[in-house]
Amino acid sequence: MKIRTKATIAATMMLGTMVLIAASIGWADAQVRAAIAQRRHSAEIASALNNMRMVTFEFLLNRRDRARFQEQIVWERLERLFANPVALEGPAARTLASLRGQGEHSHRLFSEVEASSGVDSTDEVQRRFEAQLSSRIMILQQNSLVQAEQLIHDAENRIDDAQRRVVVVTGMGLVLMALLTAVTAWLFRRDVLGPIARLELATREVAAGNWSFELDEGSADELGDMARHFDAMTRALRDSFNQLQVSNRDLVVLNKELESFSYSVSHDLRSPLRSMDGFSLALLEDYGDRLDEEARDSLQRIRAASQRMGRLIDELLGLARVTRAELRIQEVDLSAMAEDILSTLAKAEPDRRVRWEIDRHMRVRGDRELVAIALQNLLANAWKFTSKVEEAVIRVGTRDEDGEQVFFVSDNGAGFDMAYASRLFGAFQRLHHERDFPGTGVGLATVQRVMHRHGWSLGASAALGQGATFYFRPTEQVDERREQDHPAG
Amino acid sequence: MNEESKTILLVEDNDDDVALTLRAFKRSHLMNPVTVVRDGVEALDFLFARGAYADKGEALPTLVILDLKLPKLDGLGVLKAMRADTRTALLPTVILTSSKEEQDVVAGYSLGANSYVRKPVDFAEFLEAVKILGIYWLALNQVPPPQ
Repeated sequence: MKIRTKATIAATMMLGTMVLIAASIGWADAQVRAAIAQRRHSAEIASALNNMRMVTFEFLLNRRDRARFQEQIVWERLERLFANPVALEGPAARTLASLRGQGEHSHRLFSEVEASSGVDSTDEVQRRFEAQLSSRIMILQQNSLVQAEQLIHDAENRIDDAQRRVVVVTGMGLVLMALLTAVTAWLFRRDVLGPIARLELATREVAAGNWSFELDEGSADELGDMARHFDAMTRALRDSFNQLQVSNRDLVVLNKELESFSYSVSHDLRSPLRSMDGFSLALLEDYGDRLDEEARDSLQRIRAASQRMGRLIDELLGLARVTRAELRIQEVDLSAMAEDILSTLAKAEPDRRVRWEIDRHMRVRGDRELVAIALQNLLANAWKFTSKVEEAVIRVGTRDEDGEQVFFVSDNGAGFDMAYASRLFGAFQRLHHERDFPGTGVGLATVQRVMHRHGWSLGASAALGQGATFYFRPTEQVDERREQDHPAG
Repeated sequence: MNEESKTILLVEDNDDDVALTLRAFKRSHLMNPVTVVRDGVEALDFLFARGAYADKGEALPTLVILDLKLPKLDGLGVLKAMRADTRTALLPTVILTSSKEEQDVVAGYSLGANSYVRKPVDFAEFLEAVKILGIYWLALNQVPPPQ
């Protein structure tokens, strides 16, 4: 049964009990009221009967007309009382009926006494008749009084009974409520708190890495559903974790293979090139005088191509290294780094006149070695592509873009057509002719890899003949976790 | 010690590289005798005068030029065996190889290489490197006393 259903039932039962208790109290209260009304009624009857008795007595003694009127008034009062009885039952009703009978009887006798009072009272027979009537009236009235007292007593008993009932009903209601509360609390504990505690334990276990923890909650309620969903979630987590481990292992193997591949490339691919270059040079040196210009040019071309191939291999290996290298995140002083690189470039080509401007205090959190590789490539590009400009200017700076710090390297060199920008960062992609600007097309691919490893974004904007700007946006999320995500770093 | 007694042991399996290295020696006017061995086992045989070299005597070369990628036993294995033996523990050994992989450089120095030189593709550069190597290790450098 669902917890919702149980809660509804419990609430309904509580409400029902309360309504029942309220009704019982109301009913008992009505009983009390009825009993009180009965007592008042009975007391009035008793009082009227008492009056009647006194009036009758007075009339029998003095035979005054005033007493006769009074008897009439009291009788009317009694009649009204008898005519509007309070709801009665059992013996009380019978007592009342008997009282009514006696009253009527007494009134009739009174009328007879009254009628005979006009006759000469000296008559012995008459007097004895009257005396007889009078004593019968007195006896009747005496009886009536006793019965009225009985009625009052009866009503008082009823009041007592009703009051006791109120107490009993209230007490029973309270007991019932307490019982219901206890049962609800027990159910709550069994069906809600218990499963929640087990769920809590399970979440802690799973959070601690115990993927095999299962709840096996059998109940059909919401918490049972939740536990089953939790188990399903844990299973899914476990599965994907296992899958992750498998692919991680595959990745480690793949990485190892890649490593040995680049190792072989580094060793074996370069040595034939060395032979080509070396023996071409040997030919030139040993037999150069016997070769014509064309043959010497061919040999030079072989050498140039071999050396270019050697550079390509080296740069490809560098690119692979960038991908494989383990990230060591630390604070890097970009300003100092850019200054170093540009000074070195200037020393290598002292004839070039290049002015450079570097913003001060540029810092970024990243891998020093990789960031240096990226910056080296960007600045070397800027240096190369400004080689045909009179007043070459290279700028390294930072600016705020939507609250994020963006670093840029810009030059006023050859630039490129933005239409080809999509090819910019692919390996071996070149936007310029080799004879204009020599290069292998690996540099920007390497920069892109460095950015990717850090989770940074790299972009470029340029126009043909108007220089180029490369900018990167370091996100703060660069964290050491990426390092661990990278199997066998 | 005269020039002729300062011999060089070149451990190199690639014929082209042997030819080029010898040519570089010649063009650098290094007249020292060069013994060429083709794999790691042969190198150790030569150094410890065993196997095919059992009759050559205990004389050691002045300099060992060691390639890393070798058949049978690789260069690092040769180096390890050399450094483990008192006779060759201090023998100047230069690693001359195609690889500039960080792991090789670190391993080479850890095992006690005296130098690590990468063979450039450009023969002119290679020549320069061999010349400097020869001058340094065969002329400038003071060799340790025999053990």
